[in-house]
Amino acid sequence: IVIIVILYLSNLHNRCDLIFLSYFEGFEDLCKAYQKALNVVKKEEGGKIPGFFLRCLVDLEDYINQVWEDKDGRKNMSKNNAKSLTTLRQKLRKYTRDFEEEIRLFRENPDAEDSDVEKDEVDEDDDDSVMDDDEPLGPAAFKKEPSIPKEEKKVVESESDLDSDESDWPSDSDETSSSSEDDRKIEGRTRETFLKKKVDDLEGEKTKKEKIRDKRKTKKEKGESDDDTKDGWQSVSKKAAIPREKPKMFGKDDEVTIPAVVKKLSEIMAARGKKGTDRKEQIELLHELFNIAKENTLGLPVQIKIQFNLIMSIYDYNPSVSDPMKVDFWEKILVKIDELLDMLAITPELAIGEHITEESESLEKPPYRVRGCVLTIVERMDEEFIKLLKACDAHSNEYVVRLRDEIQTCKIIDKLLQYEEEHGMPSDICRIYLRKIEHLYYKYDKKAAKQVKGELPEAEVTSLNEMDRLCKYIFVRDNTDRLRTRAVLCHIYHMSLHDKWYEARDLMLMAHLQETIQHSDLPTQILYNRTMVQLGLCAFRHGNVKEAHNALLDIQSGGRAKELLAQGLLPQRQYERTTEQEKQEKQRQIPFHQHINLEMLECVYLVSAMLIEIPYMAAHEFDARRRMISKSFHHQLKNSERQSLVGPPESMREHVVAASKAMRNGNWNLCRSLLLNDKMNAKVWDLFHEAEKVRLMLGRKIQEESLRTYLFTYSHVYDSISLVTLSEMFELPYGTVHAIISKLIINEEIMASLDEPTSCLVMHRTEPSSLQSLSLQLADKLYNLVENNERILDQKPFFSRGMQVIIRWFPFFSLCLPPEIKIFEKMLGPVWRCYSGGPQKIKKFCVYFFF
Amino acid sequence: MGENIYDLTSKLAPFLDRHLVFPLMEFLSVQKTYDETDLRHARLDILSNTNMVDFAMDIFTTLYEGKEVSHELIEQRSKVVSQLNSFQEETDPIFKIFAEKEVQKQLQSSRDQQSLMNYLVENHGFRPEMLDTLYTFAKFQYECGNYSAAADYLYLYRGLVPVTDKNFVVSLWGKLASEILTQNWENALEDLNRLKEAIDSGASNSPLQVLQQRTWLIHWSLFVFFNHPKGRDLIIEMFLYQPSYLNAIQTMCPHVLRYLATAVIINKTSRRQAMRDLVRVIQQEMYAYADPITEFVANLYVDFDFDAAQEKLKQCATVLENDFFLVACQKDFIENARLMIFELFCRIHQCISINMLAEKLNMTPKDAEKWIVNLIRQAKLDAKIDSKEGHVVMGTQAVSPYQQLIDKTKNLSFRTQILIPLKGCCYTEE
Repeated sequence: IVIIVILYLSNLHNRCDLIFLSYFEGFEDLCKAYQKALNVVKKEEGGKIPGFFLRCLVDLEDYINQVWEDKDGRKNMSKNNAKSLTTLRQKLRKYTRDFEEEIRLFRENPDAEDSDVEKDEVDEDDDDSVMDDDEPLGPAAFKKEPSIPKEEKKVVESESDLDSDESDWPSDSDETSSSSEDDRKIEGRTRETFLKKKVDDLEGEKTKKEKIRDKRKTKKEKGESDDDTKDGWQSVSKKAAIPREKPKMFGKDDEVTIPAVVKKLSEIMAARGKKGTDRKEQIELLHELFNIAKENTLGLPVQIKIQFNLIMSIYDYNPSVSDPMKVDFWEKILVKIDELLDMLAITPELAIGEHITEESESLEKPPYRVRGCVLTIVERMDEEFIKLLKACDAHSNEYVVRLRDEIQTCKIIDKLLQYEEEHGMPSDICRIYLRKIEHLYYKYDKKAAKQVKGELPEAEVTSLNEMDRLCKYIFVRDNTDRLRTRAVLCHIYHMSLHDKWYEARDLMLMAHLQETIQHSDLPTQILYNRTMVQLGLCAFRHGNVKEAHNALLDIQSGGRAKELLAQGLLPQRQYERTTEQEKQEKQRQIPFHQHINLEMLECVYLVSAMLIEIPYMAAHEFDARRRMISKSFHHQLKNSERQSLVGPPESMREHVVAASKAMRNGNWNLCRSLLLNDKMNAKVWDLFHEAEKVRLMLGRKIQEESLRTYLFTYSHVYDSISLVTLSEMFELPYGTVHAIISKLIINEEIMASLDEPTSCLVMHRTEPSSLQSLSLQLADKLYNLVENNERILDQKPFFSRGMQVIIRWFPFFSLCLPPEIKIFEKMLGPVWRCYSGGPQKIKKFCVYFFF
Repeated sequence: MGENIYDLTSKLAPFLDRHLVFPLMEFLSVQKTYDETDLRHARLDILSNTNMVDFAMDIFTTLYEGKEVSHELIEQRSKVVSQLNSFQEETDPIFKIFAEKEVQKQLQSSRDQQSLMNYLVENHGFRPEMLDTLYTFAKFQYECGNYSAAADYLYLYRGLVPVTDKNFVVSLWGKLASEILTQNWENALEDLNRLKEAIDSGASNSPLQVLQQRTWLIHWSLFVFFNHPKGRDLIIEMFLYQPSYLNAIQTMCPHVLRYLATAVIINKTSRRQAMRDLVRVIQQEMYAYADPITEFVANLYVDFDFDAAQEKLKQCATVLENDFFLVACQKDFIENARLMIFELFCRIHQCISINMLAEKLNMTPKDAEKWIVNLIRQAKLDAKIDSKEGHVVMGTQAVSPYQQLIDKTKNLSFRTQILIPLKGCCYTEE
């Protein structure tokens, strides 16, 4: 409340030069605030009216009198202002009447007032340090100044021994001068800052302060034995810093015992989560307590317990869940957790867990029991790490610096893993294993890759073996479905990353995740998407184009790959996201170092689609019912066709489209050079671990598929083709050409047969003339019609009167009309529902519909 | 002599019973693929946990000529004999009961084991604990190598014990093994089916156990399928078309694919469809298991590489020769495989030179010509031989559009006609 008063005061003063209306309002506020603060003032200062308040009143009075005297100026004022001035003057007079005595005293001797309070303060210092802030701020404010840093210093000292006092002073001054930014600062500081701010405002004597600071510095260098009076203050406070804190915890003569420490701890922790608790102070207190426990050698269990609470309160420090914690706190917490785990490791007879209640704890003698869950702390740490990473700009140096902490994070996880393996329950081990797995799965291990190729013995420990061991443990022991699902996905991801295609595929098939994944939580779904993508890439590297296409189809089809992989937000077209939605989506994002290259992904997809789609298009050129295999590939093709002028390809997509066109014409050489060139290498192919192999595979695939396309497209102009010529044309070995053609013949994709003695492909002229093909199509449609009729009659619910009529008219329409019979199928439902009336009506409807 | 890399005995053995491994060992020693002393050692190892002490002693003496038979064996022998005597005493009353003619009749007529049990308890002083004795005795007999007795006792046991009994499935396994070892294939097949039912319905077992049991069953059934006359159809039915068994093969024992592939190849009736499914499976498992037989199929149906297929076919012959289960169908296999190659060839080509064909089929040109002539005469092949050029010319298979049109529309009017009465009855209702 005092703070509020101070706030108003400073506001008030700032407004001095403004119109009196606001001045008047300010005064009103001040009165109200004072009323509120009265209780506190009474309690803390024994009813003494604070000097700064008096001073303010006096200033105000003086100012008003001055303005009142200035009659000319008063006349020039606006009506409103003049009116306000009058009211204010009256009110002020009335108000000051209550404080007449004090004001008189104050006017007589403002310094005396201050020294009074100062004396007070000296008395109070020992038993109540919080009071410091309420000191008067007269000219003597600077005398008092040292006491502010004094507290500051306590903070510093207790906070971390690493921070030298030296470094803290400048930061102190920074805060003082940049007080406007201090809204976000913790309350403990705000008090002081505002105090100082006021000092600045009122006196405007920064230079003076500077001097003092300089003095302080010199004093520091000299040591504590300075005879300056102000520094005398300083030296006292400095000496008193620790001892004075201690009595707060324990009396000087109190015996520091385990129960006492625990009691103190629970006292401190009782304030946790309450409104108005100074979280920073809590951390300091806990730290203090930890040191006390350490100094008095109360045993590790107590230290562990305090450390626990300390870590928890550091976590608490950040009020918002979605924001990352501050970097210095993060670094501190890493150290703390590491210490905690070390302590745990050297006290084997200690049981720790959430199931242990506060009452059943035993800290004094073994077997020790401590309440708390290390696992939760470490998990939280991991999450905070990800949050921190996400908060950094992924392309900045900051990100790299942060990412270095991963080593430390992994070390901590390993430490806990070791600890849990010895002490933990299976479910806990599963959890920590999964943590480990999630740090492991996306990393490419060169050793493992070598092992897959058989260059390293199976026994060598690589990330693959490690994953295998961890995942298998989870598969067997886990009884929450989520951990297992995630472990399976990570395992598949890791295997695909290292080109263990068959194993990855089999695991994917055996896990049956496709059916259930949409019921799981979003992060798991994202992981599933990532895994599918990685599996697709792996399939592609192995030359399984069809599998690659199928795996990537879902991710690529909507053009939302970025969103599905949680690698960035897409701009919404239809509607704006609410801030809440955006926040959630941002939380889900994957940190940058785990990203999968989207351009490579799209390229692999488009190339796979090309290798499947182009021969298919060539084979079914005249087929009326040709289906699209890949929509997004067609989209790209159409886009390029729409352009009036097609320049040489620049982007990855343009390259693929141009290559597709070349392939369509059977020009495999051009196709290959469009896909495998320096530009594309830099953009895509070099991103693969074994780029050369992939390129070879792709070149070969292009040759084969071009051959197929060529045969489909140009077979009608040939009567016979020599296989030898073909194999020369496409630079494929004779055997391959033979195999490809044999496959085409067996699958009845081309009507031809081989003439063995001359090694020629002989075409059978079975391509019907246009009339023939049309009549064949008609026959097809008739066939479908009859099938549909039968199906309709089979379906009992459809077997009603209205339906019969349609069936009666059905053949007629279908014969008259060219459209697909599918239309009838589609409309049968609605028609039947709408028109269960007479046959006439339906006839009309149909006529209307078609003619 | 060298180790045969395609020998599967070591892969099969873990899934088989000790006693079932013996025939395999026997076969190996006849084939002389392995060192005889090694085999004997292995056999002695296997015998160590059974009661077939006499047999073990035999092997021991051949193995270490001149050495005294080890003391343990002699001790074990006396122990087994005394056990046998005590068991016989115990089971004596039981067999007396079953020896009675009335009981025999009842046994054959009764279907329900509960009523049969009641009948025995009431009329012949049969006690339920006798069942357990019967079971242990059967087990003992089996261990002694007296398989037919074991089969008989287990038959009785199975007739009396309820399906839910804990020993029920075990007794089925025992029965199956005994029937296999006595080479009673009809009964074995029956037992096999019964066991399959028991496993498939065994909801109480964990999936892992079920998988394991299925794997065992797959291996044990090889004995039955390759000896029973109908086995070659049944093996396809069970391994290829029952997803749970196919899964078991794919996950646990891809080497069984060899037997499945062989079965599909020598099966004449439903080859097309089965082959397509088999090719799919082989393709999937190519990385996990490959031997000449599966590679032959893959070469032929995936890569259409006839030369490689030919090579593989040669290797297949040796593989079959050295495989316990497949040795009997070697001739069938070669014949059918040839036919397969040829058939595929004909479908792709319109003109083939006989010399080339002979080479591909691993025959002399004259034999090949004869073979083709036979095929043509049996109307399996629509072709003519052009002896001037030495070519086989296929008949054209191209279908004219007219024919296609007629085929497509031929039965449409008939099918629509069928609809009319159906439709009519509804229409008249209105």
